[in-house]
Amino acid sequence: MIGQGRLKKYAFINAKLRGRIGNILSDDVLTNMSKTRSLGEAVRVLHDTPFQILEEVYNRTGDLKLAELELYKKEIELYHEIERYLSGEVLDFVKALTGRYEIENLKAAIRLWFDRVIRKRNIDSLTGYLFREKIHYDLHVDQIINVDSIDGIVDVLSGTPYAQIIKNNSSQLDVSRNLFPIEIALDRYFYKQLYDKMKKLDKMDFDITKRMLGVEIDMENISWLVRFRDFYKMTMDQTLSNMIPYGHHLDRKALEDAFNTGDSTEILRSLISKKYTALSSMLAVQSADNQSKLVLLGRLLDQVILYEVKKVKGGYPFNIGIVLAYFVLKKNELRKVMTILNAKYYNLEEDRIKSVI
Amino acid sequence: MMMFTTKMCQLAAVVLEQDADNVTKELLKQGVLHFVKVTEVADDSGNYLANVLPKIPQSKIADTRKRIDSFFNIVEHNPVDVKDLDVSKLSPVDIEECNNELDLVASGLQKMRDKQKSIQQEIHKLEEIKRQLALFDTLDENIESGKKYAYLSILTGKILSSKEEEFISSFQSVPSVQIKLGQQGDFITILLITMRRDSLRVEKLLQKFEWEEMEMAGNIDNLGINAKSEIDEKIADLKIRQDETAREAKEYVFSRKEFLENMWSNLRMNELFYKIQSFYSKTSRTMLFSGWLPASKKDSLESSIMKITEKRCYLEWSDPQEIKKINKKDPDVPVKMKNPGFLSPFEMMVKNYAIPQYGTIDPTPIVAVAYLIMFGLMFGDAGHGFVFAIIGLVGTFITRKESGSGANKILQLMIWCGLSSVITGILFGSYFGQRWFKPVWFDYHGIIAGHAESGLITDISGILLITIYFGISVIGLGLVLNWINCISKGNWFKLFMDKGGLLGGWMYGAGTYAAFYFVRHDYRTLPESNTLFFLIGLPAILFMLKPPLEVYLHNKQHPGNPRKFTIFSLMNFLMDWLVEMLEIFSGYLANTLSFMRVAGLGIAHVSLMMAFDQISKMVTGGEGGFNIWSILILVAGNVLVIGLEGLSAGIQALRLNYYEFFSKYFSGTGKAYAPIALKGNS
Repeated sequence: MIGQGRLKKYAFINAKLRGRIGNILSDDVLTNMSKTRSLGEAVRVLHDTPFQILEEVYNRTGDLKLAELELYKKEIELYHEIERYLSGEVLDFVKALTGRYEIENLKAAIRLWFDRVIRKRNIDSLTGYLFREKIHYDLHVDQIINVDSIDGIVDVLSGTPYAQIIKNNSSQLDVSRNLFPIEIALDRYFYKQLYDKMKKLDKMDFDITKRMLGVEIDMENISWLVRFRDFYKMTMDQTLSNMIPYGHHLDRKALEDAFNTGDSTEILRSLISKKYTALSSMLAVQSADNQSKLVLLGRLLDQVILYEVKKVKGGYPFNIGIVLAYFVLKKNELRKVMTILNAKYYNLEEDRIKSVI
Repeated sequence: MMMFTTKMCQLAAVVLEQDADNVTKELLKQGVLHFVKVTEVADDSGNYLANVLPKIPQSKIADTRKRIDSFFNIVEHNPVDVKDLDVSKLSPVDIEECNNELDLVASGLQKMRDKQKSIQQEIHKLEEIKRQLALFDTLDENIESGKKYAYLSILTGKILSSKEEEFISSFQSVPSVQIKLGQQGDFITILLITMRRDSLRVEKLLQKFEWEEMEMAGNIDNLGINAKSEIDEKIADLKIRQDETAREAKEYVFSRKEFLENMWSNLRMNELFYKIQSFYSKTSRTMLFSGWLPASKKDSLESSIMKITEKRCYLEWSDPQEIKKINKKDPDVPVKMKNPGFLSPFEMMVKNYAIPQYGTIDPTPIVAVAYLIMFGLMFGDAGHGFVFAIIGLVGTFITRKESGSGANKILQLMIWCGLSSVITGILFGSYFGQRWFKPVWFDYHGIIAGHAESGLITDISGILLITIYFGISVIGLGLVLNWINCISKGNWFKLFMDKGGLLGGWMYGAGTYAAFYFVRHDYRTLPESNTLFFLIGLPAILFMLKPPLEVYLHNKQHPGNPRKFTIFSLMNFLMDWLVEMLEIFSGYLANTLSFMRVAGLGIAHVSLMMAFDQISKMVTGGEGGFNIWSILILVAGNVLVIGLEGLSAGIQALRLNYYEFFSKYFSGTGKAYAPIALKGNS
C-alpha cells in the first residue's frame, strides 16, 4: 500500500522529473552531433532541443566554454528548482547533492591558482569561465585565483568547511606538486556530508541512495585506483588510504585485489560478470594500452551506473530514486554533449568520439 | 465511395537496366508508388534476383543535406519551402565535392566565430578588472594599506603621446584598463589598472614604452568610478562588435543561400532517387520493382513507363482480391484515406488513433459529425464558440505556410468546434453566459438555475437522457459500421458471433429496451420472462456456441495444427462464455453511461458561467447594471471558461470517439500509404 506521506512527498516531483527525463537527448541526437564535420555544425544539431541555449551563446560569442558555463548555470538553477518542491530530510539531502557543483567549481578555481602560481602559466583566458554565484557558501573564486599562496586560499575560504580541508592537505602540495590530495579530500568531504544526510532518510530512501551512491563511489574509486597505480605509481597503502568510503560492492579487500591484479579493468569485469550479468556483453571488448583501458573503464562504469538508474526508473515510483536517477542522467547527458563538442573543437574523428561517449 | 479507404492496386514491373534510371526519375516525378521489396511479393525471388546497391549510400546524401539544413538554421530559413523540386534538374551528385564545398562555408563561418571568441576574451579580461574594482569600493582601506585583497595594480604615469595607440593595443593582451588623464606637452598621462598577478608582463610592457611613473593624485573613489564607467563603455563597444560579427556570419550564409538551396535540392532528389532504387532487384540485364498505388493512378503511371521505356518493359497489375485468392491470405495493402481537405483535422484524429485496415470504413466523416455534436453539447455557448472560431481562424491564417502541420490542423479544428458551439449556443439560448435571445431548443441556464419556463426539456434528468440517447445512437452506429466492415472483408464468423457482431448487437438492443421498459415502469417491472428470454437469454445461449465454433473453424483452416477437444476444453469454453457475457453486459452499460459526461461537462460549463454572473452582480451591490469590477469579473470568467472548458470538451469528445465509438468497429491494423515523392515526408 502506498503511504500517504510518500505519495504527498514524491508524487509531484516524480511526475515532473519523469517528464524531464523524457526530454533527455536521445542517442540519435548525439550520433548526429558526432557525425558532423565542424564544431559549428555540431552545435547547430542542438537547435530545438533543451540545449538550445548552448547554440545561442555560441552563435553570439563563438565561445564554447562560455556556452558550457551557461549550461552549468542552468543545471544549478534546476537543482535549486527541485529543492523548492522538497522539504525536510529529503531537501537536506538534495542540498547536499547540489554541493557537488560547489566543490567542482572550487576545484576549478584551485586548479587555475595552481596553474598560475606553481606551474607559472598565464590564466588570463581561463578566468572568465568560473561560476561566480553562490551555491551554498561564498567562495570568492576571483580572490582564490589571485592569492599568492595556498595559505591565502585558506584565508579566502575562512568561514566555509573547505578552509580546514585545504589547510589539512596543503602540506602535501609541496611534496607531491600535485592537486589530487586536495581534490580527493574535497570529494571525500562531499560524500561524507552526503552520507550524513542520507542517514536521516527513511529506510526505503536510505537503501536506494546507499545503493546508487555506493555504486557511484565504487566507480570513482576504481577510476582513481587505476590512476594512482598506473600513472602516479603509488603503493597499495597510499592508494587505499585515498579511497572514498561508503562504496556498495567494493570493500577494502576487493580494492586490494584490484590493485594487485595485472589488469585494472579486471575487477570491474569480475563485478559485472557477478552482479550485472545483463551487461556482460560489454566484457567482450578488450584493450591493450593504459589509456584505452581507462577509456574502456569509463564506459563500463557508465553502463553500470545507467543500469542502476534503469532499475530505479522501472521500480516503485514514490521514493527518492527518481530524483537520483534524474541527476545521474542529466550529468551523463551534459558530459556526453560537452565531450562531443570539445572533440569537434579538436577535430577528432567520429569513431574516436563514439568510443568515448 | 468516400466511406471506404481508397481502392489500391499492385504493380510488379520489369524494365531493362538501361532504362532503370529514367524510370526511377519518372516514378519520383509522379510520386504515387508505395514501394515494397520484390522479395516480399515473390517468395522464391531470392533464388534468382540480386539487390540493387545504390551508387551512393542514402545516409551519406542525407547527412550532407542535413549539413545544409544546419547552415539554414543560422539564417532561420526553412529549406523545405525552398522551391518546388524539379526532377528534370536532377544531376549526379559527388558527395565528396559537396562536402568540400560545405567545408569551405563552415571554415569561413568558423573564422567569424573565432573573431567573436577573441572579442569575448577581451570582454572576460575587462570583466575581471571590473569585478576587482567592485571589491575596491568596499575594501578601499585594504587597498590603500596594500593588504591581501589588493589584487589590482593601479599606476599613474606618462608616455609619449605618439605611442598612445601602440600602448593601448599592446595592453590588450593583459587584463587592463587605461584611462587617459591629460596631456603634458609631448606626453600623455595615463591611469593604468592591471592585475597584480600579471606584474612581470606589465613591467616588460611599461619598459618598452618608457613609462615614467607619477604620484597618484586625487580621490581614489572617483578614479574607481571613472575606471568602471570606462570598462562598461569598452565592454558595451566590444559587445556591439561581437553582435556585428554575428550578423556578418548570418549575412555570410545568406549570401550563399542560392548556392546552398540548389545543392540542397539536388541532394534531396538524389536521396529520393536512390531510396527508390534501394527497393529494386535485378537480374543480369533487367531491373524489377514493385509497389502499391491508388487504382485511379494506374493508367497515368502505366502510360508514362511505357513511353519512357518505349514499351521495353513488362508491367503486371494486381488487385488485392486477386492476390488474396492466390496467396490465401490478406495482402498487406497500404491505406490511403480519401477525404476532402476540410476534413483533414478529423482525419488527423483518426490517424492518431490508428490507420484503418484496407477495405474497411474510413470513419473520418462520421467522426467529424460525432465529435462536433459532442463538443457542441458540452460547450454550448454562441459567444464562446464565436471566440473559439475567431482564434482558430486567426491561427490558421498565421500558420498557413505550415498547412499540413499538426498545429495548423488543430487550429482548423477550433474553427469547426467554434461553429458547432455557436449552433448549440443558439439552441440553448446562451451568449457569453447570458440569455440575450430566446433558446430555440431548451433553456440550459434556466434548467440549471431551477427556473426553466419553456422549451422541450425542463429538468436536468431530461438533459442526461438526451446524452444517453446520443450514446445509444453512437454505439449503435458503431455496431452497424462493424457489420459493414465484416461483410466487406467476408468475415462471416465475426459478423455473427463477435460481441460487436449481430449477436452482440441483438443483446445491446435488447438490453436497452429492457432498461427503458424498467424505467418507464417506475423501476419496478421488467419485460415478461418469455420476452426477456427471447431478447437476452437466447442470444446468450447462442454465444455458448462461439468457442467450439472457433475451434472447429481453426481445425478446418489449419488441418496440420489442430486444437484438441478434451474435458478441459469444455471448461475453457464455459469460462470464455462467462467472460464474454460479463464483458457484454458491463462493457455496453459502461460505454452507454459514459456519454453522460457530455451532460456533465455541459452542466459544468453553464454552472461556471452562472457563478461568474453571480459574483459580478455581488460587486455591484446586487443593484444590477455593471461597473468596472463586474465587467472585469465577467471578462476573466469568460476567458477562464473558454480556456478550461474548451480544452475539457475537446479532450472528452476525443475520448468518447476513441474508446466508446472506435472500439465497436475500428480495426486499426492498417499501414499508411507512403509513396516516395518529391513533396511530403517520404
